[in-house]
Amino acid sequence: MIQVSSLNFVHKVGKFGDHDKKSDNDLLKVSEINGLLIFQIAKYKNSSFDTSKIKLDGLSFPSSLNSTSNSKTRILWYGPDCWLVFSYNLDLIDKEKNQFNEIDFAITDISHSRTIIELEGSLVNEVLKKGCPLDINSLKVDNCVNSVYNGVTITIDIISDNPKKVRILGLRSFGESLYHSLTDSCLEFGYKAV
Amino acid sequence: MLSIKCPFCGYRSQKEFAYGGDGTVKRPELNQEISDDKWNEFVYLRKSPRGKHVELWHHVAGCRQWFKVQRDTVTHEIFQTAKMNEEIK
Repeated sequence: MIQVSSLNFVHKVGKFGDHDKKSDNDLLKVSEINGLLIFQIAKYKNSSFDTSKIKLDGLSFPSSLNSTSNSKTRILWYGPDCWLVFSYNLDLIDKEKNQFNEIDFAITDISHSRTIIELEGSLVNEVLKKGCPLDINSLKVDNCVNSVYNGVTITIDIISDNPKKVRILGLRSFGESLYHSLTDSCLEFGYKAV
Repeated sequence: MLSIKCPFCGYRSQKEFAYGGDGTVKRPELNQEISDDKWNEFVYLRKSPRGKHVELWHHVAGCRQWFKVQRDTVTHEIFQTAKMNEEIK
């Protein structure tokens, strides 16, 4: 089956907005992240399973509003007893399935139903502030929060502080609106779609 | 705009929440006989108090959890929030 990324027909490479006389380093960079395995792990409310024992691709489950990561996999806190896993190891579920019994956990593959937009540059916070009610400046690397951006429900995952790099996750069905919303906010600063 | 303290995520903008109605309504016991009047009261009838009121809110664009909020319906001041299994004092 051919996989078509959610922004395949929307994301156009090039420079946009106020980019004249600015070097590439001063421009925001906008890219789509695709080809990842994405799955949700939810622990049932009546389960008493100790999740601190679990290591997924060598990573433990993060505490609230945080993420854990290695070079291939990121685990985001998505709510109480609920986590989102992103991985370039496409067979991660199959490899690690035996750690999660059906009585305690629900694992759902949602690789096809998310849009991930990555923003990079020193002005990322200013872009986020335009549509998100959170205190963006207080977010540090490896924080992850759910919020809204111009009415679209999103998850913000802070990848790094220097250079400032943030991934915005939304539902695939809202992907196009979210992309236009974010890129409209980037126009004032100038951005390079890569 | 209210700033509501989610018991799981901390203070967040009202934009992230959905109001869920009166938090004091109790569902009738399962497998018990119940009159039509009592059922009607549970399903449709709500008080509309002036002052402190315990409500349910849903952090719909956050951790997606329901929780209780004690709010003044006149001033909108929020006195306390609590998880569903906790009591509002």
